[in-house]
This record gives sequence, C-alpha cells and structure tokens, in this order.
Amino acid sequence: MKVLLLTTDIYGGYGGIALYNRDFAAAVASHPDCEELVVVPRIVPNKPDGIPSKVRFVAEASRNNLAYFRSINALRRERFDLVFCGHINLMPAARMLSDHAALLVYGIEAWKPRNRRFKPGAVISISDITLGRYLSWSSFEGKTFILPNAIHLDDYAIGPRDPQLVARYGLEGKRVLLTVGRIVAAERYKGFDEVIEVLADLPKDVVYLIAGGGNDLSRLKKKAEHLGLGDRVIFTGLFPESEKPALYNLADVYVMPSRGEGFGFVLLEAMACGVPAIGSRHDGGREALRGGQLGILVDPASSADIRLAIEELLARGGKQIPPGLDYFSFPNFESRVHALMNELRT
Amino acid sequence: MCGIAALFAYDGDAPAVRREELESINERMRPRGPDAGGTWISDDSRVGLAARRLAIIDLTAEGDQPLTDTAGELVIVFNGEIYNHRELRARLERGGARFHSSSDTEVLLQLYRAHGADMVELLRGMFAFCIWDKRRERMFVARDPYGIKPLYFADDGRTIRIASTVKALLAGGAVSRTIDPAGVAGFFLTGTVPEPFTIHESIRAVEAGTAFFVDGNGRGRARDHYSIAKVFRNGCSQHAFVTLVPPAMQLCEFVSESLAYHLVSDVPVGAFLSAGIDSTGLVALAKQPMRTVTLSFDAFRGGASDESQIAERFAAEMHSTHTTRVVTRDEFQRDLPRFFDAMDQPTIDGVNTWFVSKATAEQGLKVAISGIGGDELFGSYPSFTTLPRIVRSMSLARRVPGGIQAARAALAMMKRSPKAPAVTRYGATWGGAYLVQRGLYMPSELREVMDAEAAEEGMKRLAIFDRAEAMLDPDPASEFGRVATLEATLYMRNQLLRDTDWASMAHSLEVRTPLVDAWLLRQLAPLLTNEGQASKQYFADSPRPALPDYVRNRAKTGFVVPLIDWAQLEPDGTGTRMRSWAKRVMGTFR
Repeated sequence: MKVLLLTTDIYGGYGGIALYNRDFAAAVASHPDCEELVVVPRIVPNKPDGIPSKVRFVAEASRNNLAYFRSINALRRERFDLVFCGHINLMPAARMLSDHAALLVYGIEAWKPRNRRFKPGAVISISDITLGRYLSWSSFEGKTFILPNAIHLDDYAIGPRDPQLVARYGLEGKRVLLTVGRIVAAERYKGFDEVIEVLADLPKDVVYLIAGGGNDLSRLKKKAEHLGLGDRVIFTGLFPESEKPALYNLADVYVMPSRGEGFGFVLLEAMACGVPAIGSRHDGGREALRGGQLGILVDPASSADIRLAIEELLARGGKQIPPGLDYFSFPNFESRVHALMNELRT
Repeated sequence: MCGIAALFAYDGDAPAVRREELESINERMRPRGPDAGGTWISDDSRVGLAARRLAIIDLTAEGDQPLTDTAGELVIVFNGEIYNHRELRARLERGGARFHSSSDTEVLLQLYRAHGADMVELLRGMFAFCIWDKRRERMFVARDPYGIKPLYFADDGRTIRIASTVKALLAGGAVSRTIDPAGVAGFFLTGTVPEPFTIHESIRAVEAGTAFFVDGNGRGRARDHYSIAKVFRNGCSQHAFVTLVPPAMQLCEFVSESLAYHLVSDVPVGAFLSAGIDSTGLVALAKQPMRTVTLSFDAFRGGASDESQIAERFAAEMHSTHTTRVVTRDEFQRDLPRFFDAMDQPTIDGVNTWFVSKATAEQGLKVAISGIGGDELFGSYPSFTTLPRIVRSMSLARRVPGGIQAARAALAMMKRSPKAPAVTRYGATWGGAYLVQRGLYMPSELREVMDAEAAEEGMKRLAIFDRAEAMLDPDPASEFGRVATLEATLYMRNQLLRDTDWASMAHSLEVRTPLVDAWLLRQLAPLLTNEGQASKQYFADSPRPALPDYVRNRAKTGFVVPLIDWAQLEPDGTGTRMRSWAKRVMGTFR
C-alpha cells in the first residue's frame, strides 16, 4: 500500500499539530501493508529528524509556492492507495491528487466554513467537538473517524521539582498552578485571564505559572499587576521543548479553562507527569479529560467553578498518573490509525 | 420535585417546634409530592423538617426525605432537580466520598460537606433546599439562580418557618395572615407579586439566586450566588469566542447540552408543544421522539390563535406521540375553584399552564419540558425594541428645557393611554420604562383598587422602581442585556416561573425549562449581546434539519386563552380586560 500525506509542518516543526502529524505518519508507516508513505510538508521550520524508514519526505515542497505546486504536480504521476490531507487549507492540493482524500481536522481551523468547495472523501477529527462543528457547516455525509492525540507515556514521569527552575521562577514554598500554551492576542481562548481573575481568591501561597510566549504577554502582565497579583503570576516566556516535563513537574495543578482547544494535548502531558488537571467542559478539553473521568471539567465562564476545582485539587494533593490515561497511549493511537486505514481501503 | 418545609426555633426562649404544625404545612403541599411524605424533628425539638415527594430520580425509598447522612450530622429537605448530579457524584467519589443511594438529594448533602455554602455554585438545575447542620447548629437555605423553585419564609425573630408555598406556611396556623399593602400594590402594578414581597406581611420569598444561614442569632445576610446582570456584563468581554463558532452551531451545542441535562430522569419525560419556535426547537433538538401535548381551546378551533394544527403537523414530522387536548368553556368554569385554590400568590396568568399540565398529567407523565424562557433569552418580546427607544427619547427630553412637557403633550395627542404620563415620569430609566411598559395599573391609578393610605404605604415600601433598577447592578453593559435582565428578573421570575410551578404542581407534574438555565445563559451571553434579536432565527436554524418555514414564519401568539368570554370579564378600558381579571383574582385572596 502506498500512502500520501499532505501536511502543514511535521518533521522539524514545533507545536501540537506537527507532533500529531509525526505520530500520524509513524502510525501509518507502521501499518503492515504500508510499503511507502510520501509526506509533503508546507513548511519545514527546522532541520527535520526522526523520519521513519518507510517515509519519503518531500522537503523541497516547502521552499516556496512554486516549489509546492511543482511537487504536487509531480505526484499526480504516481498512484496512491490512500491520500491524507493534513489541513483544510491544503484541500485544493489534495483534490488535485485524489477525489477521495481523507481530511484531518484539529480545531478552530475547521469550526467555521472554509474551502467548502473541496469536499473530502472522509474526515478524521482529533475530537468529537471539532467533528460536530465541522459537520454543522460542511454538510459532509461520508465516513468520519475520531482520532485523539497520542501521548508517549515513556517520555513523561512524576518527578521532583527541578531546583534550578524553582529558583529561576521563585517557586520555593509555593503551590503552583500551571498553564502551557501560546499567548496570542487574536486567540484569547486558553483561559489565562480567567485563572488570573480567580487567583486573588486563592491562598497567598498559590502562584500561577504561565508557560509560553506570544504577543499578548504584556497585556496579561499588566492585568496581573492591576489586580495586585504581579508577584503571583509568573511568565516563563518561550521555553525549550526539552524542559517541558520538568516544567510540568513544577505544578501542583494544571488548569486550562479554555474555549478554543480542538483537543488539549497539554492536559495529557500534565497528567502523564501525575499533575491533576482541570479542563474546559466546552471545548476539546472535555475529551482530553474523558468527560471528567481523568480530571475536573469546569465552565470557563464561571470563576466560582474554576476556583472550587482548583481548591479541591490543591486540598486533595499528591500526584498520580490517572489509570485511564493509557486510552491515549501511542499503541492505542496506532491501532486506531490502522483500523481507519483498513476501513478507508474498503 | 417536592414540597418542603423547615421550622427552626433558633432563639433559646422560643417554643419548641410542634409536629402538628409541621404536618399541617406538609399536608397542604400534598399535590406537590403525592408519592411519599416524611417529617424529622431534632432530639431537642428545636428543628423540624418535612417534605412531600414526587419521585423522579431514584424511585426507591432511599430517595425519601428528609434525608439524613450516615454520620447523622446533616439532614436535608430538597425541592427540585440537580441535573448534573451524576458528574458531581463521580467527582465527590474521586475525592473519597461514599454514597448509599442514587438520589440527587444525597449528592447535595455530600457536596455541602465538601464545599460548604460554595456548593450552590456547582449546581446545575432548579432547586430550593434547607440543610440542617447539627455540627455547627445552623441551617443552610438556598434557592436556584432564576427562581424556578419557590421558597418562602416567615421569621418572627425567634423562630423561622420555611416552606415551598405561602399557603402551606399559612396552613401551619402560626403565621399571621395580615395583608401587606406592598404586596397588593405590587400585584396591581405588575399583575403578580414582586419578590421578595408576598401579600402577607409576615411572609417573604427567599430571593432567587441567594443563600443564607440561620443560626442561634437568626437569619444571616443573604449572599448572591448568581447574577443575571453580571453574566451579561461578563458576556460583553468574551467576544473572542463568538467569532470562533457560527451562531447557529453555538446554539445547537449549548441548548442541546442543556436539553440533555433536562432529560435526565428515571421516568418518561414529555414536552409541551405550541406552534412557536421555542418549543418546536427543543423537540427538534431532543434527538429522540417525544410525547408531546398541545392545548386547543374550542372557542379558537381553526382560528389564528389555534396552535394545534401546526403543532400536530410538526409532531408528526418529528415522529412524536402527540396529544391535542381541547379545553371547553364548561371545563374552564368547573376548574376555576380548584385553580384559585392552587394559586399560591395572586397572578393574572397561569391558566394555560394549568390546563396544559392537566392534559400532560392525564397522559400518565410526571415530567415535561417547556419552552418558556425562550422569549426572554432570545429577545422576542416587543420590549427589546421599544424599551431602548423609550429610554433614549426620555433621557433626551430630560436634558432639553421643556422637553418633558413636550413629550407628554405629544404622547397625549398620539393616544389616550393611562400610561402616557407615566412614560414621561419614569421612562428615562430602564427599570422605570420597563415597569410602565409591562404595567397593569400605573402608580397614579392604584387608588382605584386600593385604599388611598394603603396604596401610599404599599408604594413606599415596595419601592418598585428602585428595585427594578437594582436588578441592573452591575450594568449588563448592552441594551439587549439590560432588557433581557429585566425580563428575566421581573416578569419571568415573578410571574412566568412562579405560575408554572404552582399550576403544574397542582397536577403533580414537574415542568423543566431547558431555556431557563443559569449555565446555558453563561455560555450564550456573548452571542446574545452580539447578535441581539437575530438570535431567535439562529436558534430556529440550530436543529438539523432547521425548523420548517411554517413554524418560523408564523405570527407569534403564544398560548392564548379565551378568558374574556369564558370568565365573563367586564370592560375595563384595556383590550385584554386583564384589570377585571386582576380584581377577580385578588378577591379570592381577601
């Protein structure tokens, strides 16, 4: 079986979608019948590595629009058994190669009408909420699959606080709430504002660590200062990927009362480090916490709901990897990918 | 769904609570809970609790009330439904709690143990309850955000008496029946008695969205746990989300979620179906064929006010098991004595709910969903367009020398309405304009129906314009939010919801209101302030497939009763003759 995957970024890429794409490609390549997987990226921000042996990575397509078009055009001469389109914006290119391309949808990019003319042959969604929102405007009636993020549980573990990070952020003797994510003015849906607002009602030894960079950081800083919380809201700015597990291990509670997450992979990372998690009942966080089985779901519009959940988890204390987290393990993800490939082949 | 009562002789010198009084109060509420009844009195006879039960969730005797926790430290009586009780239970269990029944009542006890008074913030549902906390010798009293479930108290400074209805408190025999001119004035001004007043001086409502403790020092300060005005205000600052998801999809998701919660039951749930968008939208979003009931008055059969034909067509398309129940003049007149007996507080409304509840109960149903609240939520009332106009023009007139006089003259020329002078006097404020627009009588007309002195005293204590303005604190920050807040906290709370409660309970039917849901409003507030009255059409678009044109294009009538003919109402200068009806109603309470 020969498979094609069009993606935005994958090898050498940052962030959740690149990670999801790498996992997806690895799972496709590991299908017993897969002979070759051709991956065409739109961007390659860094030197690509970790490319599986069955993968032909067409890195030159990312050079510019003309190179991308040439690569797609060249691929029209090849025959693929399955074509996956890794972003709704790439559907025009996917349709040049197949009438039956399976579209992967993640989050807000698929929540409102976009590229309506280019219908996919099937839809693979990271979450039920994204699928529902996509179906509500697309009138798509073909095969659909839910494929939640995978978590590589071996990459994370419950661990002690790193003394260097404790010193760097001034966390000695503090209980730490953590949110990891981009801080972007145009995407105020992570719930940073909501957590800052309830912090004033929490005990003084509770601080809020916001890990990530972005153009909305100075506004949040000012807001925290205005509320008299300047010393209790701590910003890490951009941090190296390698520090991520150590960052999670600083936290007593992971909290993300968001409104715009397609899934909320960071919740899985936090739980894989044994950090109790609070997510949103109104976006993909609901599914990352498996409807509340793995953590507490809150209404992002209710500061009381957020505060009580934080107080409850702080009072409960202790760290434990939730027993149900392996639902999202990579082997389970891989099985789901193989099953959907088999289904699509029929 | 039940009727509950509590007595607490909090002052050391107060007489002990009497079982006979408690049982008399409870007995008056029997129709609210025909399935079981119970009382509990503390060992020292300082506290008594009672409940009548309509079993909806956990039909076993383990759900009977009053319910005591296993440690014997907390005792509860509870009226209502906690729709998120299953997830709260799971969360409490993860924290180490152990349960002995599947009832939502036990969840309340455990939640109180875990979170104290903050527990009310976590409840999604309609509720009124009292928890006796033996450890701290105090009682916790709470009522839901919108005021769907009623709760009244009489506090004589030594003993507090609490019950689901005013008439039950009176049935106990220890509460004074002295009429309160403030309550009477409120009734003639608005067609219902505004909270916290009742028509009895000694009885007050536990205000919607509040909770308080009663301990040895008496009643503590009531704390707001929900503010509709604040929700609208916060909604204005959450526009980021509005742009992420199309409006019809947001409505589909959030209303479907509310509906799914409101369908949680251990007995079948039916639905009131009119020809309007709200009830048809709910039936369409329910994703399951329902048992639907529509009223038809034989005087209207086949006319524009008859909703039955459209409802029947829609029900057939939804594969609902449908009943059209025809009400005749004879039946109306036969039911009137029972209707007035069940009416807990004077109101000019409630007839439709009485008959549709009766019809639904005849189908063997104990629970029905209703689309009430949709007009307040989606801004379908004329007040959403007229009120901003009145306030803007009267505010402008006030700023111009002679403007008020000119406005008064203009209004007098346009139509001879008793409201014209009141518009110029009160119309510059939102609360004032609202009360004038919704008003039955104007303040200057109260002397027609009340003794002059009582009217003056009543108006003074009622302070109705100040109270209406207080509903807008904090400012909901948009014109839509202001009108929606006034509609929800005045008309809907004092009339629509209260009437729905007593008129349905009289038939042992629990009415659930998916569009009157505090959690739903929090989600929709950004969209509502953004889209305003267009929200209704988005709601009509939200089911798959969208509501048909024959429903969405129908002129709005609501449930209408041929009251003028059937009750033989005298002309009173109004088209609806509601003033005549109001006098008839008040006559049954004096």
